[in-house]
Amino acid sequence: MNDQKKARTDNQPLLEMDAVSKSFGGVHAVRGVSFWLEQGTITGLIGPNGAGKTTLFNLITGVFRANSGRMIYDGKTTHDARINELVRRGISRTFQNVELFESMTVLENILVGQYTQTRCGIWGSIFRFPWMVREEHLARQNAMALLEFVGLEAYAEQKSGDLPFGWQRLLELARALAARPKLLLLDEPAAGLNIVETAQLGELIKKIREQNVTILLVEHDMSLTMTVSDKIIVLDQGVKIAEGLPREVQANEAVIKAYLGTTG
Amino acid sequence: MNKPYWYRIAYVAVAAIVILTGILVSNAYYLQLLTFIGINTLLALGLNMLMGYAGQISLGHAAFYGIGAYTTAILTVHYAISPWLALPAAILIAMAIAYIVGVPTLKLSGYYLGMGTLGFGMIIHILFREWSSITGGASGFIGIPPLEFGPVSFASGRNYFYLVWGFVLLSLIICRRIIDSRVGRGLRSIHDGEKTARAVGVDTSQLKLQVFVLSAAFSALAGFLYAHLVYFISPGTFDFITSIRIVTMVVIGGMASIWGALLGASLLTLLPEWLHSFSEFEMVVYGLILMSVMIFLPQGLTRGLMDIYERSKKSQNR
Repeated sequence: MNDQKKARTDNQPLLEMDAVSKSFGGVHAVRGVSFWLEQGTITGLIGPNGAGKTTLFNLITGVFRANSGRMIYDGKTTHDARINELVRRGISRTFQNVELFESMTVLENILVGQYTQTRCGIWGSIFRFPWMVREEHLARQNAMALLEFVGLEAYAEQKSGDLPFGWQRLLELARALAARPKLLLLDEPAAGLNIVETAQLGELIKKIREQNVTILLVEHDMSLTMTVSDKIIVLDQGVKIAEGLPREVQANEAVIKAYLGTTG
Repeated sequence: MNKPYWYRIAYVAVAAIVILTGILVSNAYYLQLLTFIGINTLLALGLNMLMGYAGQISLGHAAFYGIGAYTTAILTVHYAISPWLALPAAILIAMAIAYIVGVPTLKLSGYYLGMGTLGFGMIIHILFREWSSITGGASGFIGIPPLEFGPVSFASGRNYFYLVWGFVLLSLIICRRIIDSRVGRGLRSIHDGEKTARAVGVDTSQLKLQVFVLSAAFSALAGFLYAHLVYFISPGTFDFITSIRIVTMVVIGGMASIWGALLGASLLTLLPEWLHSFSEFEMVVYGLILMSVMIFLPQGLTRGLMDIYERSKKSQNR
């Protein structure tokens, strides 16, 4: 292992999962999963369908409550925290099926993404206090900067629902960044993208890491996952079956078994 | 964008139309009709914030309308309090009740929220009718005083018309400003996808509660203005049918459109007056007109008329 990787390992973990479990009725979606995410790294989360990846996302973002186990984010527990509180603390996500606010413009989508970063309330909006005008101006500037980052600045005033699918993915990514995340969860960001778009996405993801954002990536596109990830975690039927560097995981027998079935 | 600029022109245009109408129209009946349009616009505007923008239905908004009217009636008649003090009291009481009702009710969504608010509206209606020692019961509440402000009396039709439309204009500006802010974007994001809105950090339950309370305030203001216009109120004015009528104004005028509230309120106030000549067929024709609007302009009048305008412009260019 090179020195750069080692330096990262010495970092404080941003997220620590400790024996986290979640079941729905009799279905154990996630069973005693433990891992940690180091600051400023990209971790790929892979596994066959139904392995519990999306459930894990929903646990981290506070949509579901874990039945047991501990989650420590940024030094504090996330237990009982509301979703919007977690977003404020820096956990941001995108969705497997792009979920934009389709009747709103591209710019407005990003502005909603900044919801936790701004604070104007009803009174502020009615009386338009100077601080509110400044806040709005700044929010729009930030939003435009993010659109430039993903290359959609020319479409700021278009209705987001009218964008082609690949651009909608980029917009969703920009909206997730608008919350100034420390931890960014990407749920199959390359699904539905062509090869060129996937490569561009890979570059963007690396650029986001450079800004010291920690990324957890669920992705079926192995070429993307294996090239951008610093570490891979493999889930199967709710259990973590492997963790390690991309090439270590690729050679792992349990992983091959999970993906290809028993080898007899 | 030039949007704020156009809004300002629209406000000035509305103000000019209001002033001119007040000068030109001297027929007391027409002035009263226009005043009613103003009051209904306030009702539709309030509900439109909740329904059109946040996508949350309320089938009990007549209750807040009634709370505004009865609060001012009780305070000014029983306690001889100035109407100008009764106005903030009426609004605050409606807001407080909306808050108390909203906390549990707004956890519901869709049909269930409709049923919840429907039940609330019915309870309040029964309260108006049965709590006769305070509300005058089914026979109504008489003797509500006219409004005065120093030497200016609002007993005359024209002054009252100006008063109501002054409030309408103010409310239009307030709503526009809210919609164009962070709060308004939050509301619209709930409409587009509540789960997603929550996931990007919008405090949806707080926002829904706020807009519910806000729309109750507009309804209470309308109730206050109604009570001091007609001097007599009875429970029948604030029943389930009125709640439905407010919903219809919003839908017919166009959801998520400030001007839609104005258009919807105008149509639903004027239509019964125009249709008097149909005598017993009045309700049939009324229903048919509303149905055809929904069939041919499903987005409501505002959107629908704008689409027709844009289409004709395009075909001219061709």
